[in-house]
Amino acid sequence: MTTLTPQITPSRPGALSQSAAARLRATLAESPLPERYRLIEVIGEGGMGVVWRAHDTVLARDVAVKVLAAHLASDELVTRLAREARILATLEHPGIVPVFDLGSATDGTPWYAMRLVQGKRLDVAARDGRDRRDLLRIVEQLCDTVAYAHAHGVVHRDLKPGNVMLGPFGETLILDWGVARDADPDFRAGTVVGTPGFMAPEQAAGLRGDATAEARADIFGLGAILRELVAVHDDPVPRRLQSIIDCATAADPSGRYASALDLRDDLRRFAANERVLAHRETIVERVGRFASTHQTAILLVLAYLVMRVGILLWRGI
Amino acid sequence: MSRRAAAELLSAAYWGPVVALLELRWRLHRSDAEDLAQDFFAAAFAKDWFARYDAAKGRFRTFLRTCVDRFASDAARAKARLKRGGGADEESLDAADTDLIGAPDETDARIHDEWVRGVLAVALDAFRSEAQAAGKSTQVAIFVAYDVDDPPDAERPSYRSLAQRFGISETQVTNYLNWSRREYRRHVLDALRALAGNDAEFQEDARDLLGNRPV
Repeated sequence: MTTLTPQITPSRPGALSQSAAARLRATLAESPLPERYRLIEVIGEGGMGVVWRAHDTVLARDVAVKVLAAHLASDELVTRLAREARILATLEHPGIVPVFDLGSATDGTPWYAMRLVQGKRLDVAARDGRDRRDLLRIVEQLCDTVAYAHAHGVVHRDLKPGNVMLGPFGETLILDWGVARDADPDFRAGTVVGTPGFMAPEQAAGLRGDATAEARADIFGLGAILRELVAVHDDPVPRRLQSIIDCATAADPSGRYASALDLRDDLRRFAANERVLAHRETIVERVGRFASTHQTAILLVLAYLVMRVGILLWRGI
Repeated sequence: MSRRAAAELLSAAYWGPVVALLELRWRLHRSDAEDLAQDFFAAAFAKDWFARYDAAKGRFRTFLRTCVDRFASDAARAKARLKRGGGADEESLDAADTDLIGAPDETDARIHDEWVRGVLAVALDAFRSEAQAAGKSTQVAIFVAYDVDDPPDAERPSYRSLAQRFGISETQVTNYLNWSRREYRRHVLDALRALAGNDAEFQEDARDLLGNRPV
């Protein structure tokens, strides 16, 4: 609020009737979207825009429409929203929400329509009693999606549980690609992006590289998600799993997994009780893992040996 | 924004709410409420009261309301003293302090309506000045004719009638209206941003006034 100087006389606004005010307000509240989309309700609101549940009157289906909120509109965000829609349109993967339509409102503000995703955000769903194995499978799916995006030159740059939606039929979708970067050489990263706790150190420091270099920041994000999900349960974290987390979230980008697929593969190896690349096993751990993997066989062999020893002893007697 | 411009914006946007508050809460006639509102803003600017506002402590409208109530209370006491000195019957406005004519909800609703009108009027003045200075008087005239003026038969003029009246095509009427609405919306948001104590208050006000409109 600006401070005021003395000797200023108050001014009265020009006359505006109640009916004129009501009309102007209604005009301001009018939807600038094409008639095709009838806005129903706000289903999400973030730093960049508002997501509406809308009805597509042409195809008779509900969709999600993301638009900039009037009070958030700025040149940077207008550009970012349009970029997000175009990036999403280049990615066709079960883990990425498909974009149906992109347009400009009557005042030039971009909006886009996408598949309406109904489900739970991962940060909420993780506390619904899912077991650790289930949560690790979700991270594996995220790795697949991120690897696909990276293969197409797209880096998400803001991976966190709040940007992941779990559908009712096992879908795992990565949302909010608003700060993503593509392979465009003219891409300007802008200010520091990401979320504390899930943001790689080089992101937090505002360091930038090309898309390939920044892909390591997504590996960090995946590792941070993994760390968050593993912490949901009070059980001690197995050392091999902890090594996977440590590798994915290494402060030095070159110390992280080279790709999301490498991270996924290590998670699969962990789930299969195989040796994970991120963990240097001791002999005791290796034997222990071998023993737990081949428990039945070992028991059978032991039983056989006990029996043979018993027979030998019996004969000797 | 200069201090003078800020003062003009504040008094223009909050003139209606202050007068409404004085009318409803302090039971003043319209003309007395306007006189006291004039005195209030003059005193506020002279003594720099609004500089004391701390956005961290609450909304500016709440702060303003407290200032007006105190000012009106002081004015009522001064008036009562004068009357006692003159030997006239005592008629203190203190009694009205808690004796509201309308229910609180009604008072709040009226003040809110007046605030909306104030912001819309301020934005309209700003839009009109800027557009006319840019040589877009026809756009302004079409916007005012379609969206602002009260039509005599309660029905807005058709695009065709506006096209004939201004000697342009219907498509141009559509384009001019779209442009004007976009520019007017920008002025409304600029006014809200300037009047808000902080970004959160601005966003809340914008949502309130625009009805959670997306863009």
